[in-house]
Amino acid sequence: MRQFVRDNQVGMALIISALLFAVNIAINPASLNANTFGSIIALTLLLSFASAGQTLIMITGGIDLSVGAVMSMAAIFTANTMAGQEGQMPLVIAQVVPMALIVGLVNGVGVVKLKLPAMVITMCVSNVVTRLQYVYTQGLPTGTTSKFFTMTLQHRFFGFIPGMTLYGIVIFGIVLYILNRSRYGQQLFLTGNNRNAAYLAGVRSDMVEILAYVLGSLLAGIAGIIGAGYMNFVICQSLDSYTMMSIVAVVVGGTLLIGGKGSYLGTAVGSLLIIVLSNCLAVLNSSDAVRSVIMGGVLILLLAVYNKEKPIRQ
Amino acid sequence: MLEMHGITKRFDAVVALNNASFEVAPGEIRALLGSNGSGKSTLVKVLSGLVNPNAGEIKIDGKSVQIGNAQESRRLGIAVAYQDLSLIQSMSVMDNLVLGLEPKGPLGIVDRKQVEARAREVLGRLKIDCRPEDLVRSLPPSVQSMLEVAKAISLKPRLLLLDEVTASLHHNEVDILFDTLRELKEEGMAIVIVTHRMEEIYKLCDGCTILKSGETVARGKMSEMDLNEIVYHMTGKRPDAAAQGVCQLANIEKEEQVLEVRNLVLLPKVKDISLNAFRGEIIGIGGLEGQGQSEFIRALLGVHKPSSGEIYYNGINARFKSPAQAVKKEIGFVSGDRNKEAVFPIRSVAENLYAGKTTKGNIFGYLGPKQINSFAGRAVEEFNIKAGSLKHPANSLSGGNQQKLVVGRWIALAPKLLLLDDPTKGVDINSRREIHKILKKCTEDGMTVIISSSDNAELLEISDRIYIFYEGKVSAMLAEENRTEEKLVAAMMGLISCDTGGELDG
Repeated sequence: MRQFVRDNQVGMALIISALLFAVNIAINPASLNANTFGSIIALTLLLSFASAGQTLIMITGGIDLSVGAVMSMAAIFTANTMAGQEGQMPLVIAQVVPMALIVGLVNGVGVVKLKLPAMVITMCVSNVVTRLQYVYTQGLPTGTTSKFFTMTLQHRFFGFIPGMTLYGIVIFGIVLYILNRSRYGQQLFLTGNNRNAAYLAGVRSDMVEILAYVLGSLLAGIAGIIGAGYMNFVICQSLDSYTMMSIVAVVVGGTLLIGGKGSYLGTAVGSLLIIVLSNCLAVLNSSDAVRSVIMGGVLILLLAVYNKEKPIRQ
Repeated sequence: MLEMHGITKRFDAVVALNNASFEVAPGEIRALLGSNGSGKSTLVKVLSGLVNPNAGEIKIDGKSVQIGNAQESRRLGIAVAYQDLSLIQSMSVMDNLVLGLEPKGPLGIVDRKQVEARAREVLGRLKIDCRPEDLVRSLPPSVQSMLEVAKAISLKPRLLLLDEVTASLHHNEVDILFDTLRELKEEGMAIVIVTHRMEEIYKLCDGCTILKSGETVARGKMSEMDLNEIVYHMTGKRPDAAAQGVCQLANIEKEEQVLEVRNLVLLPKVKDISLNAFRGEIIGIGGLEGQGQSEFIRALLGVHKPSSGEIYYNGINARFKSPAQAVKKEIGFVSGDRNKEAVFPIRSVAENLYAGKTTKGNIFGYLGPKQINSFAGRAVEEFNIKAGSLKHPANSLSGGNQQKLVVGRWIALAPKLLLLDDPTKGVDINSRREIHKILKKCTEDGMTVIISSSDNAELLEISDRIYIFYEGKVSAMLAEENRTEEKLVAAMMGLISCDTGGELDG
């Protein structure tokens, strides 16, 4: 039993999710409906988009605290540029992609070339991006996303499968390819597990690591666009909470904090657990603050149980 | 003053010290000698409290003592100066000199005036050319070494241990140091020096103790031991110092030259190395540990940037800026330091074997588990790697099999040039033999191998030619009938040397 708990982190996360959901229904039987299912799926997908880049970065042994800020910024760009009109998506992408590229590059270069701790540089960048939201919008973001875009996300097939699933297929396809079916993915795992050995084996580990931060920010930017479309209202810092949630999702999903091991499907299961948990807390009418406290507690508990692999001393 | 008996220390399967004994009297300067892996560094670490022995007794002034940590060692009056400095680079000279023993005024505040005065006194005694307020990192290596010694002396120890501190010193600095050591000896200090320079021992020491494979094999007065005898005790062979013509290269077809290195310099360790390698050759690099072997190999790979000299690889000037560039040009590198430099412990056996090949091709190109597993499957079979499954993590394998993973990683790619840095260190005898077999077979197919090793028997067994490094230079190149252990030992101890000018080009 203990062995099972330790070796099947992802399986455990699934079991806990199911149990939490059962508790949820026991407390409030009325919540057993297609709508609840649909919103759990949609929110899980959104969180797993937000956590995709975090997975890549944490496999290198780093961390990205700017995910939420990049998402919020991307959401503001989206609503502002679309302003309820159709056909603005290319313009949105033309704004979000360069912003994410710059953020990712600054993060990556800061960590790899300037040797700053990932936590420090990504937090600084996060603060800058957050302040820029206020500068750009004067504190009052305007606009809404296009009706069609929002519809593609919110529509429910068969009453419970959200339209966001279509986006999910594409994003999961890309991330799974990068991580598990490309040379880059292999190089990422090797660099994360033993950077020095990877370097000496001919891996351009600096480039691999910087690229992880760039891809991470790009994915956060995409998640921000989708988040804006799904929520359909935007304020400054609206998606900031995704930083912490993405870290918890990745760790719950079995990625080692010291790097070298992790999976995107694990992250998806981790996302599910978090969404079900916060759904459960919502049913209990707990405040945002209480939810944050519980999320933090869950993270500390998981880190204590898992993440036992020893790092390599360089 | 100090007596050590029956000291034994095991690191897993490796026995570093086996029932070793050592003693030194007050007012005596004693040399602690030994070849590679003889256990002299471990013995020094036992005295400095960095290593706790598994068995044995240490007596100071006839009283049995325990040295559990560095503080206890210091309290017993033992001070150590290390080759790989214990100075803090970002602190000033004076702060380093008083570190941990800062003179305090009333209220426990550090008395800066006294710190500076004390530093000036110590610097003056060893005539060290720097100011007390200089930052250590701004000083040249030789001055830093002198400071390291000064720091140990300033503790006013009863027993002073100097571990290879003269390696980076200039001649005049060595003279100053020796004069000071003689004064300290007169004052009654017991001094132990570890060095590989034989002439220094005769100049300075009263007696010596020789370790071999962790055992104390000889001890005596310098006046009663000649150099031949000392080398014999260290290596088990009498040196052949009369070796002639060992720097000349035999007549080999020159057009098949794969690597030519001319006068490579990479300070502080590599001072002037010329070497060449032909297609299908196994070139051995021998010598005592730390004579520039690993720095030289890493310079070829592009890890370090040499300050001068030329490297020609397949006739083209090849100064690689990173291992990635070297690997692209079909060079492979096997490190003996598995944990830090070669194995990916939590990645699978298959991924470890594929690690070199991972870098070949478009970075976002397709690479699936099928490709990795079929490549790895073939390698596991070919190199007889004992692994439960290709999916198991590499750290589930034995040390020898892990090393085979690393060697196999490159052999399966058939590079043109394979560099190995002490690849069989701490590897069991069977795996070692198999690695030798694999290397020999590959050279038949045209691969060129450059292998550095701390084990003379290994070098003599597998290499066609052996270059012996001594203090960053080639002291001899042994080929054909010159490839004898006696000559190797002589060159290793620096008893012979050759001028590595252009003659080595053949």
